[in-house]
Amino acid sequence: MVVDQSEFESFGFWLSSYMVDFAMLLLFILVGWAILAFALAAIRNSPGRAAKMIAGTIKRAFIVDFPRTSIRRTMAMSRLAIQEAIRNKVLIIFVLFVALLLFAGWFLDVENDHPARLYLGFVLSASTYLLLALAMFLSAFSLPNDIKNRTIYTITTKPVRAHEIFLGRVFGFAAVGTLLLVLMASVSYGFVVRGLDHEHTIDKTAIEWDESTGLGTGKTSLDAYHRHDFTINRNLEKADGSDGLVGTTELAKGHSHNIYLRDGDYIVGPPTGDLLARVPVYGVLSFLDRYGQPSEEGGLNVGKEWTYRSYIEGNTLNTAIWEFENLTEDMFVTSNSKSVLPLELNLRVFRSTKGKIESRIRGEILLVNPEETLRNEERFSAPIPFEADEFVTTQVNIKFSDIRRQNPVTGELENIDLFRDLVDSGKLQVHIRCKEHAQFFGMAQADLYLRAPPGSFEANLIKCYLGIWMQMLLVILLGVFFSTFLNGIVALISTVAIVAMGMFAGFIGDIQTGEAPGGGPIESIVRNITQQGATLELEMGDTAIEVIKSLDGFYLNTMESLAKLAPDFSKFNMSSKVAYGYDIHLDLILRQLVTTMVYFFVLVLAGYFILTSREIAA
Amino acid sequence: MSTSAGQKGEVIVETRNLTKTYKDFWGRSKVHALKALDLNVRRGEIFGLLGPNGSGKSTTIKLLLGLLFPTSGEALVFGKDAADVSKNERIGYLPEESYLYKFLNAEETLDFYGRLFNMSAARRKSRIRDLINLIDLDWAKRRQLKEYSKGMTRRIGLAQALINDPELIVLDEPTTGLDPIGTRDMKDLIVRLRDQGKTILMCSHLLADVQDVCDRIAILHQGELKELGAVDSLLKVQDITQIQAKNLTPETEEAIRKLIAESEGELVSMENPTATLEDLFLSIVRDSDSRPGFVSHKEDTPAEPEADAEQPEEPAVAE
Repeated sequence: MVVDQSEFESFGFWLSSYMVDFAMLLLFILVGWAILAFALAAIRNSPGRAAKMIAGTIKRAFIVDFPRTSIRRTMAMSRLAIQEAIRNKVLIIFVLFVALLLFAGWFLDVENDHPARLYLGFVLSASTYLLLALAMFLSAFSLPNDIKNRTIYTITTKPVRAHEIFLGRVFGFAAVGTLLLVLMASVSYGFVVRGLDHEHTIDKTAIEWDESTGLGTGKTSLDAYHRHDFTINRNLEKADGSDGLVGTTELAKGHSHNIYLRDGDYIVGPPTGDLLARVPVYGVLSFLDRYGQPSEEGGLNVGKEWTYRSYIEGNTLNTAIWEFENLTEDMFVTSNSKSVLPLELNLRVFRSTKGKIESRIRGEILLVNPEETLRNEERFSAPIPFEADEFVTTQVNIKFSDIRRQNPVTGELENIDLFRDLVDSGKLQVHIRCKEHAQFFGMAQADLYLRAPPGSFEANLIKCYLGIWMQMLLVILLGVFFSTFLNGIVALISTVAIVAMGMFAGFIGDIQTGEAPGGGPIESIVRNITQQGATLELEMGDTAIEVIKSLDGFYLNTMESLAKLAPDFSKFNMSSKVAYGYDIHLDLILRQLVTTMVYFFVLVLAGYFILTSREIAA
Repeated sequence: MSTSAGQKGEVIVETRNLTKTYKDFWGRSKVHALKALDLNVRRGEIFGLLGPNGSGKSTTIKLLLGLLFPTSGEALVFGKDAADVSKNERIGYLPEESYLYKFLNAEETLDFYGRLFNMSAARRKSRIRDLINLIDLDWAKRRQLKEYSKGMTRRIGLAQALINDPELIVLDEPTTGLDPIGTRDMKDLIVRLRDQGKTILMCSHLLADVQDVCDRIAILHQGELKELGAVDSLLKVQDITQIQAKNLTPETEEAIRKLIAESEGELVSMENPTATLEDLFLSIVRDSDSRPGFVSHKEDTPAEPEADAEQPEEPAVAE
């Protein structure tokens, strides 16, 4: 799973860096409105009258209209919006969603290796797209329809303030959307849980017993397109033959099962481990080069265009270092009082020689005291071996009792205490090295983390839906905002454009900075026509290249400036976190809430000024 | 709330040099909808804006309600600028067409508009009951407005204009879409509201409506004010005297003719007056309501036709 670099920043840091952007957004909208309103009023009236009108509107807004906001009026407008939406049969969207789920078996890969990810990704994406589409249509057409049908005449001739009309619509459509989202979420949860639920059986006669260890192995029955290897420990069976846990299955399709003895039979329990909310504790990533020296450039580039991950070379001193902070002993005490340092790695494996393609690549972990004034013998633990494979999450649970260090005097391994000997002021470094010659491990900052006690999957799902809800609210705000001065279809297209711009703001930025190869739209077209690769230098005359790059530069600068005004919708999409089983950090929710609130106030203010500046009956 | 506030004769609506010019995108003048209009509407009167289509009546009303902005001049309602929303607390507005939400029923419609006036639930309930009785739609109050006839929609439109018991009632073509009974009821209601102390500003191109109810009128043509004053004084023909008397014999009529001739007056006409078609229609319908099945004009019904007689070309007036 890809984690944006900005997620590693604290909420306070993020807020301080985005405050300026938000202030600029507010300024841009207000100054933009004032200039445009003045220009239009000056054309239709006179400059003097236009200035008087603008000043009067601003004064009336802050002295009369905003202080006299009426909740009853706003709620009446909301009620109307709800009635309008429901009588326009918007709940049909829910029926459509249920129909999608009913026939999901037709288009979902039921044999997928990660059904939980597939189902969660599907229901969350379907909910998001259906809801956002609905929000766009509802919000973009409502006010223009009122103006077209002139029903707005009977509203604006009542003591209703412009922002109450705006807010009423936003709240009303948000209420309808919320109802739909709750319905979709409930049905989705049932769909995922029921879709993943399955049973296996064990053929008692097919178990192969090792009499010396008391361990029995075998395979479960084939159900839901998979079977599990299992191990039963006869030593766990109680002397009186009563029921209890006696074994587990291996991981398959992202889950495992416990095996119980019940009435003399081995019963496979329900699937576990597929609906998770792992809480990762991230460290800061840095690299040592192949000679063990700090690397300014980071890791190696193995030639992949996507530079999210860097690589370290096997059988060299090339090292990836994660430094963790604020670690305390009680974070790692398990329920059975055994202290374990739970590491999880999502390393990529890049093989420059084929070797045994089925075998995993060996690596080693070193736990290191970050205090550099200490001698190296004191800083480093003994290497802890592990094996990694492409696209496989590797869990390494390091028992505190297994952490050792080579005695500098005797040269023998001795047990050490993690917190006394290696953790310095809550800080600990984890070094990763690849042990195989000519093979590489690839990693990004989020690819190694310590697992804190897991959160609730259901709570995580609710947080994800909160993100979808906030996206819906933003879309409604944008739709209603555009509909204050555009007709329905143009307001809809504008909303779609802003949402698309917000979703692809990062990509536009990457093209503009050159991080995404291939250049802007004109350069890309030229490359396509002349069949030149995106990563190659463009082969044309110098003047032609200059012209193409200038035109692209102008276009991209404009697009980037516009994209900065749009909310970054990609930051609100947390479905991959839920699908991959990662807890959504509260910081993320807070950022989204702040962003939503900023756009809420800016757009309500802008909507108010536009509505009060336009002639409803013109 | 309304009737006691303010003094009779106080200026409620005022326009000063009010001008509206519609311009195109490039700022070029397209239509001069209203040219330097100066008007006063006083508390407690029925003021009519009269004029042909496109004369600027509706534009004036829209400017007063803040639905349009003046190009120059001022529009003041209760002494406040027309763009000031707070003036709407004391205004009721019936648009030319009843622009209402068709998916609501009558009760929901009035409840919605009551909420817009920040009225409490109890007050809304009582106003809705009173108004639905007033417009005689109790039997259809739970039907969606999309099922209403034009006349019913007009009546519910009027009810929404009265929901806040306004001091000033602005009526744009109030009798449009109403049948003769509805028209008469509307006119009666307008007079009744005036008698309760309300101020009414209405515009219409139906001269009879304006003449029937208005105290003062302004006649607009091509955006200009052509005439302004009390209806009675504007319509008074100074050099003609009209006498109406009942039960005169032909001899007495002859004596009157002679008297006029002797005093060197000119007899313009002496005849039995005719009722208006509206009066005739209303009397027939009301009579029919009170005596269902009764046919009033037996003499107009054709006699039983003979076998070879021609069929009458037109049916009887009343069947």
